[in-house]
Amino acid sequence: MNKARSIKQNDATDALPNFRNVGITLRILLISNGMALLLALSQANGWADVPQRMMQIVMLLTPILLTALLLLWAAQPWLDQLEYWQGVLAVTLSVAVLTLAIYYLAGELYSPLVGDDRNFEAARYVILSMTVGSILLVYFRLRTLALSRGLHDARLQVLRARIRPHFLFNTINAVLGIVRTQPRQAETALEDMADLFRMAMSDARDLVPLQKEIQLSKQYLALEQMRMGERLQVEWQMQDLPEDAMIPQLLLQPLLENAVYHGIEPLPQGGSIKVALRRTGEELQLRVENPCLPLSEGRHRGNKVALSNIRERLDLLFDVEARYQVETGKDFYRVEIALPYVTKRPKLKERST
Amino acid sequence: MSGNQQALSVFIVDDEPPARNRLRDVLNDCSEKLPLKIVGEASNGSEALDMLTELPVDVVLLDIRMPQMDGIELSQHLLKLPKPPVIIFTTAYDEYAIKAFELHAVDYLLKPIRQARLVEALNRARNAVPVKNEVLQELSREPRRNLSSHERGKIHLIPIGQVLYLRAELKYVTVRTVEREYLIEESLAALEKEFAARFVRIHRNCLVAKEAIEGFVRGGEDNAESAGWMVKLKGLDELLAISRRQQHIVKEFG
Repeated sequence: MNKARSIKQNDATDALPNFRNVGITLRILLISNGMALLLALSQANGWADVPQRMMQIVMLLTPILLTALLLLWAAQPWLDQLEYWQGVLAVTLSVAVLTLAIYYLAGELYSPLVGDDRNFEAARYVILSMTVGSILLVYFRLRTLALSRGLHDARLQVLRARIRPHFLFNTINAVLGIVRTQPRQAETALEDMADLFRMAMSDARDLVPLQKEIQLSKQYLALEQMRMGERLQVEWQMQDLPEDAMIPQLLLQPLLENAVYHGIEPLPQGGSIKVALRRTGEELQLRVENPCLPLSEGRHRGNKVALSNIRERLDLLFDVEARYQVETGKDFYRVEIALPYVTKRPKLKERST
Repeated sequence: MSGNQQALSVFIVDDEPPARNRLRDVLNDCSEKLPLKIVGEASNGSEALDMLTELPVDVVLLDIRMPQMDGIELSQHLLKLPKPPVIIFTTAYDEYAIKAFELHAVDYLLKPIRQARLVEALNRARNAVPVKNEVLQELSREPRRNLSSHERGKIHLIPIGQVLYLRAELKYVTVRTVEREYLIEESLAALEKEFAARFVRIHRNCLVAKEAIEGFVRGGEDNAESAGWMVKLKGLDELLAISRRQQHIVKEFG
């Protein structure tokens, strides 16, 4: 089961928005209606006139908007196959055709109040909807660029955060410490390290099977347990996990690394990390909880590189469909992530190279 | 007597068992080139302090990042021993500490430790003098978790959270906890600076723990020096006088 597809040439910025994403749909609805409000404002004679104008515009806008959303939702798999510029063209043209069709079919609603130049009316609506469509596409493009720029900038930093030097050198040192007396454990440790580093150095935007991420996390924890011995305990709780679920790679492992570095290591007696993974409906939920020193005893604030990187990647991949929550208690720290249950990579299309 | 013939006694402090293993291995490898004996090891600061009080050694190989009490703090307490050992810090990765070590020419080893580098450091340690406390203070990023008091050959650790007040008396500072008093040889001004977040000055010669303040009572004599206000601390019957200059704290904490 090798579903971690390679996307060497594939750039997140080169993709249309995912029209099946709730967040994208919400944004489209909000922005189009916002523009309608602006239009109503510019036409109105006074404040009292605004709601009425708005009503008129919304009555015209809504049928086109909803039909377009439905159409795009249906066409998403096909749009995924296209180059970005082809996709833009396809979306804009279908919006134009859709507007025309509705204009002529829905007759009454769109019949002009004054003029009788039906061709002018039709052209006006087409121009208006194509403009709104283009503005939305530009907006999504800019948004993706902004998010992935952050991703790009953060990458080097994050690579460093993922392979925390502290972890790298301490682990090598620990392997050296057991190599004479327990050569076999030392071998396993080096193999685990190789897996971990291979993953850390691959593209951060890939989705990988959930099971693979779990396995990697366990390898990581085994390395830490070699160093810390009894002080590090882990409780896994897994419920209804689908075999085919995919998640962004290195989503779980950095959370565990934070839990070890900031939570367990400073505790003299160590402690237990609780990892809970489960599926509820169309959602996967991840929770990592660790005990930590009370703030008064000099708990140090971690750098938030790993966490903010996870948040950015979730935003880029799932928009509002992923949730992220951190709870800092007096003597515990808890991160909860909910993301849609997907079985293939969303949105980012594959392109032959 | 030439020190070169006598075996160097070495003590290891590190919280990670494999790291201690590794150091033992490398030290054993070194012993061919350099007479030395490993006299003990500890996995945390207070254990190390107890053992080293009983058993003076020449050199301590000391990990910096450890839970509860880090290596820098432990080295500060070790300085109070009658014959403080020479300390060689070890760290896997600590940019901050390494910069500070370079700056103050304090010896340190990077993990994984190479045999040649260890021999070099041990040879230097033979003639080295212990690092000065002021340097160690500059090395530490955060306040100590404990104060330490040397009393009849033993070092007492006093967790800073238990200290109710610190009062300067002649050349000592009295450290008061609910149970008892200790004497330490430090300056009140330095303590005030180090623990600024925890203590507030109520008098020229006295700092009290903010958390321990229970209330204020009028009772002292009101004169040029004293404002007549006294502090009552939790778990302590004794009342402490607030000076006229510091009486604003009655408003702040009252």
